[in-house]
Amino acid sequence: MPQVPGLLKGLGVTFKTMLKPAVTVQYPHVKEAPPTRARGVIALKEENCTVCMLCARECPDWCIYIEGYKDKAPPRREGGKPRTVQKLDRFDIDYSLCMYCGICVEVCPFDALYWSPEFEYSEVKIADLLHDKTKLGEWMGTVPEPPALERGAEAKKGAKK
Amino acid sequence: MAVTTDWQKSAYIAAQAADARVNVELETEGMTLNLGPQHPATHGTLRIVVRLDGEQVVWAEPICGYMHRGYEKLCEVRTYPQVTTLINRIDWLGHFANEVPFILAAEQLMGIEAPPRAQWIRTIFFEMARIANVSLFLGDMGIQLGAITPVFYAFRDREYVLNLMEAATGGRFHPNFDRIGGLKEDLPRGWVDECHGVMTRVISFCQEMEDLLMGNEIFQTRTRGIGVIPAAVGLEYGLSGANIRASGVDWDLRRDQDSPLAWKHCDWKVWTHPDGDSYARYWVRLQETREAARIIVQLLDGLPSGPIQAKVPRIIKVPPGEAWCHTENPLGEMGFYLVSKGGRGPFRVKIRSASFNNISIVPWLLRGVYVPDVITILASLYFILGDIDR
Repeated sequence: MPQVPGLLKGLGVTFKTMLKPAVTVQYPHVKEAPPTRARGVIALKEENCTVCMLCARECPDWCIYIEGYKDKAPPRREGGKPRTVQKLDRFDIDYSLCMYCGICVEVCPFDALYWSPEFEYSEVKIADLLHDKTKLGEWMGTVPEPPALERGAEAKKGAKK
Repeated sequence: MAVTTDWQKSAYIAAQAADARVNVELETEGMTLNLGPQHPATHGTLRIVVRLDGEQVVWAEPICGYMHRGYEKLCEVRTYPQVTTLINRIDWLGHFANEVPFILAAEQLMGIEAPPRAQWIRTIFFEMARIANVSLFLGDMGIQLGAITPVFYAFRDREYVLNLMEAATGGRFHPNFDRIGGLKEDLPRGWVDECHGVMTRVISFCQEMEDLLMGNEIFQTRTRGIGVIPAAVGLEYGLSGANIRASGVDWDLRRDQDSPLAWKHCDWKVWTHPDGDSYARYWVRLQETREAARIIVQLLDGLPSGPIQAKVPRIIKVPPGEAWCHTENPLGEMGFYLVSKGGRGPFRVKIRSASFNNISIVPWLLRGVYVPDVITILASLYFILGDIDR
């Protein structure tokens, strides 16, 4: 059997690929949805935050800035003492420094931080990448439900809702 | 010229020798060529100083350190969970594979072992990192020889693997998924079926590469017999991974050492090639990608159910001691020597990365070759700059 020259065989591969439809999309016009677990941007649920500073301490490049104050909240029961709660003054994440490792979301003991797959927040000025608590709160609307787990997985106790 | 260091001394002698020889024969001057630091064949910023005699290389020296980020020192001021996110970035194409040896070393010191399901998923991701890394080499080798098509095919099919990584871990390049005692989360539903489909694609991609590039006559003439590394020399320079397997040394840590990861449950083969030239290195890596796809398919079929995280304290403190753990990463042997003094972070970490040893053979290998072959030899050695400089 005569051997097909390698050059022609290779051309056959390119020809076959040429007949297939393109796999790329024209980005600004057509958008592909990232998966639900994608680490796009961190969203903040302000009412859950107790200013415990765990996220700021565990962040590997220290890009979270937190300031808080003590406030009086109405008592839980009728006639009880007013409670002391911690409120946020400032919660900033500097996305020009963030490494998107997700440690802050993981260590948060009160479920105040969530990942959102949103990624279109580039800015002209680097200083605008510092998102304050109102902007981080706006991302909460884009946080998806966590996906169901694969067959054979054990449900995590106290999984985030 | 002020001769101060050994390096300058040998450069000076080589330059003198080249000039003397050239002047007698052809009455031309030797020439020093700076390859890089921004040369596309260097995958980053590696500078190679080449002393030429006409078209032939007389002397070559790789100069690394342009991208030194000081990982070993950075690890000392980070806690264990923070270290994982850093060492993802050492070999940025084989992202997940970097985390595994460090986590295994820490687990060894703590005396805990991840549950079987976690080990199997770890192995799946490890091999997926290998596919993501090596498939880029399979395309990139073509582009160093002037063939532009293969690299597009490589990027196309690598994308499916990276999408799978992102769906499970949340990160395409920096998964940060491995934890001491297990994994961060379990796989999302439908992932296993999707992965089966992608592995079929990867295997067909390997076949495409074989038809497109390996059978090509131009490719064969440019790589056969070029850059031959004899097994003895390769071992002396401490090569590892596919570079040493292409010289006929049957050495693979996945098979040779008793690792808690799940390779021992699969049926696969370590490929070697007797030639040791650029072609052999390409061939071995192509076969490795196929084997990786085969391993993943077998692991997916036999994935055990159960927990993915062993019991570990919330604040991880590793007991004092020293541990060494190495694995067969996409680029070769990668190891972590971990010294702990009982704190929340390591006391000292020594990183043995494959590329640094793999390029140490460059001065020996480039002596006497022609200028166009310099690029193909560098491409076939396949290093990642982040892995060299750390």
